[in-house]
This record gives sequence, structure tokens and C-alpha cells, in this order.
Amino acid sequence: MAAPSLAVDLAPGNPRELVLANPVIAASGCFGYGLEYAGVMDVQRLGAFVSKGITPKPRSGNRMPRITETPAGMLNAIGLQNPGIRGFVKKYPKIWDAWKVPAIVNISAESVEDYAMMARILDELPGVAGIEVNISCPNIAAGGYCFGWDAAMSADVTRAVRAATTLPMMVKLSPGAVDVVSVALAVEDAGADAVSMINTLVGMAIDVRTRRPVLANATGGLSGPAVKPIALRMVYQVAAAVQIPVVGMGGIMGLDDALEFFFAGASAVQVGTAVFAQPGMLIRLIDDLGEWLSSQGVGSVQEIVGAALPAGLPSRRAATEADVEIDFAAAVAAG
Amino acid sequence: MVELDPILDVDLVGAGGVVVRAREFDSRILAVEPVMGDSALLTLSLPPGMAGSLRAGQFVDVLCRVEGSYDPLLRRPYSIFRADSRTETMQLLVRPYGRGSAWLASRPVDTILDVLGPLGNAFHIHPRSRNLLMVAGGVGAAPLVMLTDHALADGRNVTYLMGAADADALLPTSYLPSDVEYGVATDDGSKGHRGFVTDLVPEYLRWADQVFACGPEPMFRSLRSVSSAHRLGGKPRIQVSVERTMACGLGACLGCVVETKHGMQTSCVQGPIYDMDEVIW
Repeated sequence: MAAPSLAVDLAPGNPRELVLANPVIAASGCFGYGLEYAGVMDVQRLGAFVSKGITPKPRSGNRMPRITETPAGMLNAIGLQNPGIRGFVKKYPKIWDAWKVPAIVNISAESVEDYAMMARILDELPGVAGIEVNISCPNIAAGGYCFGWDAAMSADVTRAVRAATTLPMMVKLSPGAVDVVSVALAVEDAGADAVSMINTLVGMAIDVRTRRPVLANATGGLSGPAVKPIALRMVYQVAAAVQIPVVGMGGIMGLDDALEFFFAGASAVQVGTAVFAQPGMLIRLIDDLGEWLSSQGVGSVQEIVGAALPAGLPSRRAATEADVEIDFAAAVAAG
Repeated sequence: MVELDPILDVDLVGAGGVVVRAREFDSRILAVEPVMGDSALLTLSLPPGMAGSLRAGQFVDVLCRVEGSYDPLLRRPYSIFRADSRTETMQLLVRPYGRGSAWLASRPVDTILDVLGPLGNAFHIHPRSRNLLMVAGGVGAAPLVMLTDHALADGRNVTYLMGAADADALLPTSYLPSDVEYGVATDDGSKGHRGFVTDLVPEYLRWADQVFACGPEPMFRSLRSVSSAHRLGGKPRIQVSVERTMACGLGACLGCVVETKHGMQTSCVQGPIYDMDEVIW
């Protein structure tokens, strides 16, 4: 039997497409700009990697401590330390342009206009394969309310970025949204090529000796195995509702975790926190996935996507007339 | 070939200009010696050729959990205590004060560990420095032992000062080369000076061409205050090994930064060794 196909297009509706050789992506914030890991692993073998979050202006980040370990997880409050879009553009894309692995740039901003401004700069930049829009940022115009918690605000950002670039665009959903499905549907309608989920969950830790928060920022984003059940549930709900690809992440430490996300409806996965502990696990995961598919006699990883969804993936259901009759909402509610 | 970040490139150049790439490798515990009270000195196997390239001040990140467990999740950084290129081994000093280090300090001989390294920059001995003063606090003794080995091999003079809670927690004299002057301080006065190790520092500042320190942050603050009146024009220079909670060890997560006069720097790649006067304390 031929080796199973691991390839996936994360922007099937976009002429510029985002075809990955395999569905394993290094997550934003956990992989620097790719260069940091080039010495310890074969970065070129990844499906893709997502850069550290870039902002309109340079940021020096939060005060220390910025990270702390929690049971089977970690909290981080780095504060988006980065050289700003202009500093970033000068340094990294030209290096990536010589790389085989697609580089996706994660962008964060505090106004719709700033998101669009960064998207315009990235639009025709050699070395940039796509954009991941981090909407878990405070919207200054809305008194600091997080864009990603609100469907209309998330759609505003997506629409502005879509108008500014034809690059493949993945919108990274916030688990803090009251109704993550409505946010996903809104950004799909506003032109997102894919959604990635979930961003970290806001949490905190307190030092019992000092009686103060451990992190200088008091709160931070929780990631790691501790968040996996929540991430999986959200991927399952969103994948049942949208037609665009869902990229799942949250606590993936190895093959079984990744399979759960594929079964829940993720077309690809991102791995973040696990890479801190074991950089080699990314390549092992790609190899393990290929071997597992072979052992199961599955020809393509895409065949297993959504296997756990009661009514399968909406994008596939729409392909056959009989399936169109299924009431998606009822199916999800039943699930 | 991948073009490396200039910052990384510099720090990947090891002794003799050999490019050292950090890597994830399996390492076997060859020996465990109880030392300094509740601490353990582990002797670990290294991949062929690595021992000779290790520089004093560098560290390794050890995964402190068994296969299948996710707790504790992150690796733990340990400065290299000593490296031996003849036996292809290194030693790590582990004090069991957290979940990860308690796990590591209690591993039996023959345990296979997942190690990432070597990581970080190194202490820099100026070519003209003759007299070196080491200032160690607790397990901060580790990188200064390796530095002492290297300095003596180059024919320099070393005074090694160490502070600990009590006599039992001090590094035994037998672990230091015999031609090192060893001064100690204990909190309870059970051996040497009663008080802080930094109390001993001023009398050596005229003698020392360079000072190297590793210990808890309060020791650095004390070192700054006791040395300020005795240093002229920033001489002797003082290098410190800082400790930060870190995640990746490779400069990617920006969780372990140190605020310096040159901006935020990653203590795992651009550190952990800093000129004390460059750090914003």
C-alpha cells in the first residue's frame, strides 16, 4: 500500500491556497520565529509553523515572572514581546523565503484598523504563506473588551483583514467567548479561510508564602494537557457548524491527543506547550501519525477528520444531496 | 543550510570556535552521590564529543517525569557542575526543593533521562585575568566548580567563597581542587564566618581581577551593595549567573527574560551569564 497522504489545504476557498505537507503545525508563541528551533530539530519537516504574535508597534512585554507551571499545564503572561510589524518584516520573511516549510504570521492589535494595516504589509511579502489573526486582544474602541469574545467584533476584524489581503487567513478563536460557535460562524461569513482554536484560557496562580499572584501580570494564559478537554469540546462544536477547516490545539502531547482532535473535526493540529518540554515530539508526531494511518489502512488523514461528529463534517455533508437535509443544529444538540 | 539568527549563532559557537548545537539526547545516570545535605550530585553520560565542548556557566534542561506523565510538565534547568571529556560525562548538582528536582534527585543509577543541551552562554574569563574570585550561594556552587577547573588548567589563581545555611550544606573541600583557597560562611555559624558569604567578598576585591557569582537573587543584591564601595571604575568586573523560571530553553517563549541596559534578553540563550552592571536589578 502507498504511504498515506498527510497533506491538507487550510484555505480551500482561497486561490492562493495554504497546502501543508502534513497537518502538524507549531503553534504561535511556542516556536519563536522558527529559527530558535532550527538547531534542535528539522523545522522543514513541519506542516507549517506560526510565528510569535506580531503587533503594530514593538513591545517589550510584561514584567517577570511571566510563566509558572500548574498541574499538567502552565500559565504565561509574556505580554506579546516582539519587534513590531516593521522590525519583524526587516528580519524574518527573507529568511523564511528560502525555507520549504510554510510560515504563518500571527498578528495582534487593539483596533480593527491596526489589524488591517499589518495585513496590508504582509500581503505580498515573500516568505509569508498565511496569516493567523489573534482576536484574543482588547479592543480599545470597545473599552478593552476582547474582540474574540464577541461575534460582531470578531467579524469586524476578519472583514478588515480580508479586505487588506488575499493571503490565506486563519482566525484564532478565544475560548473566553460566551458562544464560540457563533464567533466561528461570524468569522467564516466575514471571509476567514480557516479557524484555529483554542487560544489559552485565562487563569492565575497565587504564591501562598507571599499571598500575591505568582505572575507579575496577575493573570495569564493556561495551556498544556490541563486544557485539552475544553479545547476538544470547542473544536467538536465548531467543526459541526462551519464549512471552513478547523485547526485544533490545546494540550496535544502525542499521537492519541492529536487523533482526538482529528476525530472531533480538526483538519490539522497545532502543538505549542508540548514543544517546550520535548522539541522532538513534533517530528515524532508526524511519523507516528503516518504509521498509525498505515496500520489502520487509511489512505489519507482527511478521511478521519470529524469521525466523532454525529453527522460528519458539514463541508462533506453538503457534497451529497441526501446529507443536506440533516438538521446540523439538532445533530450537535443531540451530540 | 539554514541561516541562523545572529544572536543564536554567537551562542552556538563553543570552545575553540566549534559550533555546538543544543540537542535532545538520552543520558544515563552513572552515579549518584549525596552531597551538601539533602542534595545529590549526579554523574550523567553524554553523547560522544559533547563533554569537551561544554563551557562553564552553560546548563542543560532535564525532563523530570516518567514517560506517559505530564507532571511536572516543563524541563528543569541545571548548571553543569563538572564535565569530563575522558569519560564523556558531566555532573549536575540537584537540590530537591521542588517537584521536578525532588524527582530527579531521587532517581536511581541507570535511569535514562531526556536531556536538552548544552544551553546558554558561558562565563568569560578575560585573557589577562590572573586572580579569580568565585562567590557561590547554595547550589549556585555548581557552575563555579567547572569554571574553577578551567581557570586552574589555564594557570590562574582561584579563591572560592561559599555560603550555605549550615556546615552540612556546604560543598565539601574534597570537591574542589587542592590549590584553591576556599572560604566559607554559614547562616548558623557552624562553619566559617557566621553570616552571608558576601560579607567575605570585600577583602578580596583588590586581589581579584574578575568576580564570578552564582546563587539566589538576594545574594546578588547583597553582593552589589558590599562591593560598590570597593570597586573603582567598575573594576573588578562581576559576572553573575541568573536563575529564571523557563520553559523552552531556546529563546522562543520569552518567559525567562532579564531586563538589561540593552533591553529584554532571554536568560536561556543570551544568558544566563550577565555582567552584573548590565542588568537592571
